[in-house]
Amino acid sequence: MLRRGLRYVRARWWVFVRLAVWSVLEAGQTFLVGYALARALDAGFLTGDAGVGLRWLGLAAGAVVIGAYGTGRVYGVVAALVEPLRDRLVERVVARGVREADGGALSGLTQQVEIARDTVAGLVMVSRSFVFTAVGALVGLFSLDSRLLLVVGPPLLAGVCLFAVTLRPLARRQEAFLVADESLAQDLGAVCPGLRDVTAAGAEQLVAAGLGDRIDAERDAARSLARWAVARVASLAIGGQLPVVLLLASAPWLLGHGVTPGALVGALAYVTQSLLPALQNLVHGLGTSGSRLTVVLRRLLPATTSTPAAVPTPVESGPAAASAPALALTSVTFAYGPASAPVLDRLDLTVPEGGHLAVVGPSGIGKSTLTALVAGLLRPQEGAIRLRGHAVPGAGAAAQRVLIPQEAYVFGGTLAENLAFFRDGPVPEPELLAAAEAVGLTSLLEALGGPTATVEPTALSAGERQLIALTRAYLSSAPLALLDEATCHLDPEAEARAERAFAERAGGTLVVVAHRISSARRADRVLVMDGPRTAYGTHAELARSCAVYRDLVGSWTPTPDGVSSQPPFPL
Amino acid sequence: MTTRADDDPTRALLRAALRHSGARCAALCAVSTAATAAGLLLPAALGRTLDLLLTHAPAAGRWVWCSAGLMLLLAVLDACASVLAGTVDARATAWLRSAVTGHLLALGPRAADRLGAGDLVARLVGNAAQAGTAPGALAALLAALAGPLGGMVALFLIDPWLAAVFLAGAPVLALLLRAFARDTSECVARYQRVQGRIAAGLAEAVGGFRTIRAAGAEDREAARILRPLPELSRAGHRMWRVQGRAAARAVAVAPLLHLGVVAVAGFLLTRHRLSVGEVLAASRYAVLATGVGVLVGQVSALTRAGAAARRLGEVRALPVPRHGRRALPPGPGRLELRGVTVRRGGRTVLDGVDLVVPGGTTLAVVGRSGTGKSLLAALAGRLTDPDAGEVLLDGVPLPDLTHDDLRDAVAYAFERPALLGRTIEDTIAFGRVAPSPAQVREAARAAHADAFVRRLPDGYATPCAEAPRSGGESQRLGLARAFAHGGRLLILDDALSSLDTVTEHHITRALLTHSPHPTRILMAHRTATASRADAVAWLDGGRVRAVGTHAELWRDDAYRGVFGDEPVEDDGDRAPDEVIAVERPSPDAPAEGARR
Repeated sequence: MLRRGLRYVRARWWVFVRLAVWSVLEAGQTFLVGYALARALDAGFLTGDAGVGLRWLGLAAGAVVIGAYGTGRVYGVVAALVEPLRDRLVERVVARGVREADGGALSGLTQQVEIARDTVAGLVMVSRSFVFTAVGALVGLFSLDSRLLLVVGPPLLAGVCLFAVTLRPLARRQEAFLVADESLAQDLGAVCPGLRDVTAAGAEQLVAAGLGDRIDAERDAARSLARWAVARVASLAIGGQLPVVLLLASAPWLLGHGVTPGALVGALAYVTQSLLPALQNLVHGLGTSGSRLTVVLRRLLPATTSTPAAVPTPVESGPAAASAPALALTSVTFAYGPASAPVLDRLDLTVPEGGHLAVVGPSGIGKSTLTALVAGLLRPQEGAIRLRGHAVPGAGAAAQRVLIPQEAYVFGGTLAENLAFFRDGPVPEPELLAAAEAVGLTSLLEALGGPTATVEPTALSAGERQLIALTRAYLSSAPLALLDEATCHLDPEAEARAERAFAERAGGTLVVVAHRISSARRADRVLVMDGPRTAYGTHAELARSCAVYRDLVGSWTPTPDGVSSQPPFPL
Repeated sequence: MTTRADDDPTRALLRAALRHSGARCAALCAVSTAATAAGLLLPAALGRTLDLLLTHAPAAGRWVWCSAGLMLLLAVLDACASVLAGTVDARATAWLRSAVTGHLLALGPRAADRLGAGDLVARLVGNAAQAGTAPGALAALLAALAGPLGGMVALFLIDPWLAAVFLAGAPVLALLLRAFARDTSECVARYQRVQGRIAAGLAEAVGGFRTIRAAGAEDREAARILRPLPELSRAGHRMWRVQGRAAARAVAVAPLLHLGVVAVAGFLLTRHRLSVGEVLAASRYAVLATGVGVLVGQVSALTRAGAAARRLGEVRALPVPRHGRRALPPGPGRLELRGVTVRRGGRTVLDGVDLVVPGGTTLAVVGRSGTGKSLLAALAGRLTDPDAGEVLLDGVPLPDLTHDDLRDAVAYAFERPALLGRTIEDTIAFGRVAPSPAQVREAARAAHADAFVRRLPDGYATPCAEAPRSGGESQRLGLARAFAHGGRLLILDDALSSLDTVTEHHITRALLTHSPHPTRILMAHRTATASRADAVAWLDGGRVRAVGTHAELWRDDAYRGVFGDEPVEDDGDRAPDEVIAVERPSPDAPAEGARR
């Protein structure tokens, strides 16, 4: 992380030059505050000439105003340093959120990035201010009398060194505190929405004990952090207060060697008014925000561990044979973990071009896993999957299929933009309208105000979002459509219409994870999944031979007579 | 009229927190006040020392030592005060959190109903930390006040003119600081708006992650979401510029005020009304007096802490249900509701409900949404109390039972269970008494959860957070949790609604034939569920309209209508076009075709 930081800084050296230029004004102010005071006393007030004294002080006041102007400009320069950093963090967070579907990225975006931005700005301001104030004061001391520098310099350096030494253990404790605080927040975040369940289970004591441990851990971390305040106070005492004592103690010697009373007062002013506050800000600012920044950055920029390796483009299996089936699985085995039960066990499956397959089975049996494997989102432990001869995963295979999952993705933008998601450019309007008509989107399209209307995803119902996602997939050039419960929020008629549209697409092959039994009826072939066992055949065959399928089809409960509005499903 | 202060839970809470760290707070008060006193003495001592040094007086050496001693004392006191303040904050925060968490757990769902779960988290995390600073800030307030005030008094004592100059300049300081607050808020709001647009885009993409990944469109989507970034950057730059302008004004005020005091002091020096040492002292006191800005900050922090404490006090003010001392006598699990009335938000949801569930039977409760089915479920196991009437289990009113007897007797499964515990195993075992691993697996099998749990990467040891779960899978884990803990009454509050009909069928069959709970209450949406129960209670308009078997009630058109307006998926029970083998969509996303 340090190296990355250095690279970032090196790329922006000119910002630091600007920062230095404006900060010099502040250093000038610091310089004059002590120097002008000394001159005002020596040449003015102490000689009885108030006018000279007031002029010197007026000069100092001018320097204050100019220094303040410099401070104002420094903010603008800090922005040039901090805003690009924020941009970069936002880019990272968004990229990670999109790639890993990480809901935590959202809080990262709105909270952690902002903390990082504010802390970096704070760190730059504080350390810059310390450096330039120290330079201004030390130059001032030197110009008053070099002996003064000799008295003030060493303890100041010692104080800064002591602080530097304690910075690391302090940061460790600060980090421990942040971690404890966060895990407490996390636990509370789980318990509060589950209070009903806690009460129902009578588990109040259990939960209270768990939370109590977290609360105590946070308290202990906070206390151990608080104890390190001693180190801060010690650094300040040595760096900022010891010089005052030393100045007083060596005053007879200094005065004996030509140091004027005004210079002595000026030196005291440098120490108490410039150096001590600057050191104070440094110690307080760096101590807490430095480690906070480390924690936040570590969270935002996780060490680039094996990010889901870019899918290696496998050796292309040559131009797909014209005869290759739209989808072929050979002996595919898949499990989610080495120790877990397999979801698919040596599954063989072939869907010819133009075919229409329905996948049925009890919930949670792995139907979505199957579509994810076909789409190349998961990789089987064994076996091979090919789409028209193209190996999965691979760019060739990816162009062959389009996956429409249950949760429809609709983004804020125009309807046309949403529908062109799978295309390289905008969709010609006639084609778009025809697709909308085929899938059943027309009435929504008109209600929204045409293809150029802006879509507000949260204002749409789940069914409307699914219609948009279906139409978009219909417009894709991929011949194989994988509908993974993509119609579950539609009513049966709308579902039938959408499925029919896909089945009738020219050269189109359709695999439907069935939501209703009617989906299976419409398909040429049905795959029944029931744990590692599978059955395959037409609806009629399966209804005869497969008990699980019969169970699925016939599992509706007979209701009192005369209620069924439709004839029972013929088995 | 009663004095509000006496029964104000916020004050009581803060008082208790203060008492909890009483000795430390007293010490903090003493130490910080002493540190301020030392800090106020120091400039005078420094001035005096300087004067003596300049006149080469023999007493100068002693005064140097005196000043050094004062500085050392100041450092030691400062260190003590910092450590004390930190530990007092930590202790008070922890105490407040423990106290409010305990109260919250005793309140149970009542607290979440009233205040919202997210809000409760915010109160316990952020507000508690803020409120925890109140005792320490209060203890150090005297010292914080004494600093600037003492500085002023000292200026006055040195020469009234010095104080006059300072007082004349101070209002300028206040005015300029005010301008700062006004300027920034507008551009902060703009910044946050743009940030919100990016966040909304990201939220959409996270939800549509499978589509994006399958299309390989990650980069394209990231770029699209980031489109407002330049605007964010512009807004950000503007914010810094505005802030810089305000800061420039603010940073100039204190030094100018200070120079003003020094100028007057210098003028008085020429008139021999002040010594050089006194000029030095005046300069230091002017700095101490400008600490009034810090004081303002401290007071507003204390106000914020008070507001935060008030939010904790609101939680504490909710009355906790009391448990009785009676043990549950042996019995079959007969549940009786007598004249139960519940009002919510001025509306009577249940109105004088009388209902008996004989021990060992299954009752289905049906009714249109909003008729109070879930409320009835909550009443039956005392997740809430009725406003009038009573609920009895085997003849004992529920509030008379001990906590443990009540919770051991009643098991719940919910439509959307909160799955607590680290691993899947923990979440099934979650309860007052943890069942054995064998019981956990047995319960999971009964709830048809075993198969999918075993397919998870680490089986039962898979952390909950890493186990992707659909609504139906969550429901089955919630059911397994209820099955793993015995009891004589099982309440299923729509706990099967997200299951496919096959699985639901299997589970209800198992439930009705060999469940460990003799008495069962099911809140039902589907005719299939209702028809399997021994009896059906039909809720309508807050009353029990009829009790009978499903077949008897079915003759009534109105009863059939209860099921008729369920979402399309849910009439699957009656139609052969059965919804199969899929998790039903969550209830807040009703089925819908194209908009008419």
